[in-house]
Amino acid sequence: MSQEPLLDQFIESLRCLPGVGPKSAQRMALHLLERDRNGGRHLATVLEAAMERIGRCSRCRNLTEQETCAICANDQRDRSLLCIVESPSDVIAIEHATGYQGQYFVLMGRLSPLDGIGPAELGLDALADRLAGQPPGEMIIATNPTVEGEATAFYLQRMARKHDIPISRIAHGVPLGGELEFTDQSTIAHAFSSRQRVES
Amino acid sequence: MRFDLEPAYILHTRSYRESSLILEAFSREQGRVALVARGARGSRSRWKNMLQPFRPLLLSWSQRGEMGTLTAADQVAAPPSLMAEPLFCGIYANELLMRFLQRSDPHPGLFDRYRDLLGELAGGRAPQAPLRLFEKHLLEAAGFGLLLDREPGSGEPVEADAWYQYVPESGPQKRAASGSDGDLLVSGSALLALQSGVIAPRHHRELKGLMRHLIAHYLGDRPLKSQSLFYES
Ligand SMILES: [Zn+2]
Repeated sequence: MSQEPLLDQFIESLRCLPGVGPKSAQRMALHLLERDRNGGRHLATVLEAAMERIGRCSRCRNLTEQETCAICANDQRDRSLLCIVESPSDVIAIEHATGYQGQYFVLMGRLSPLDGIGPAELGLDALADRLAGQPPGEMIIATNPTVEGEATAFYLQRMARKHDIPISRIAHGVPLGGELEFTDQSTIAHAFSSRQRVES
Repeated sequence: MRFDLEPAYILHTRSYRESSLILEAFSREQGRVALVARGARGSRSRWKNMLQPFRPLLLSWSQRGEMGTLTAADQVAAPPSLMAEPLFCGIYANELLMRFLQRSDPHPGLFDRYRDLLGELAGGRAPQAPLRLFEKHLLEAAGFGLLLDREPGSGEPVEADAWYQYVPESGPQKRAASGSDGDLLVSGSALLALQSGVIAPRHHRELKGLMRHLIAHYLGDRPLKSQSLFYES
């Protein structure tokens, strides 16, 4: 502690960032104060604006500063495809890695009863309304291959089936460039059980 | 204290700090334990994807105080393949264990029952009978063993073709079948089936109602969350 209240508070505040301990917080604060005041002022303005203005999309619950996010508002995107993901970072990952041109629904979590998160807490009634009101031609379930992700996927499948919506799951398996020998058991098991027939 | 290669299942994990996990594990010899798995969420963790519920594991840890530190984990067999409804049943069983077992209170018999239950759920058997028996053994392990084959007080044996109201913490009390005034009535034959462990499909409904009633009684005002998975939304 430097006995400079504002400086101490600044350093302490930076520790709310993931992976930032006391040492890195101090380094960041000193860097901005000593070498990059303009960068620091800019960060402060943007940070403030982002915290005030970024909310959730009314259709898909992804992060946006508008009422509906850019993806939902885009007329060029295929409204018959609906991809369900756990978090906004999953949307970013799919957008960067694939040519997917459909829409999303962001769960903002997953079913985890032992943490007190059931269907109601996850707000799945909003998704149910959407499936009833504007049923997509296909629902793509892209939850993570964890126990909670699997439970969520099955629950979603049941919801879709009620509205006769065709369902697909993204495949989980051996990464491209990965060798079986160095792939962990559970990944191999998953890849093996979801193997696909090859046209001969 | 060090514990080496203890057969265990993970019941629940939660994130801890930047890259670690806190595990709630059910070990055969040490009962329920809480363990920190340092770095387990890092992309290069040696335990990547392994520290998940339902996998038969051998865990090693060191313990001082309430929380242990995981030092090694090995998966001893392929995990039972729990998908769909059986997966929900497995999560339900984990929640029961979390709620009813005290930390560091060993229950090797219940551990074996749990392992068998997972096998039965994965084997595609109808889950009702295995779940009811698991619930019965769990209540017993938690100190709430059920009296099923005779009435408390009088000691009269339960009759297969009579009807009973099951009073929590006491036992079955004979009732006239027609006098159903909202009390939960259960047939003598269902009680005797639960006692013997041979449960027929015709007992499923009654016994599910009975066990739900008893579990809710013991859990008080914080009901089980995993039951909400089974309801349609
Ligand atoms: Zn949107």
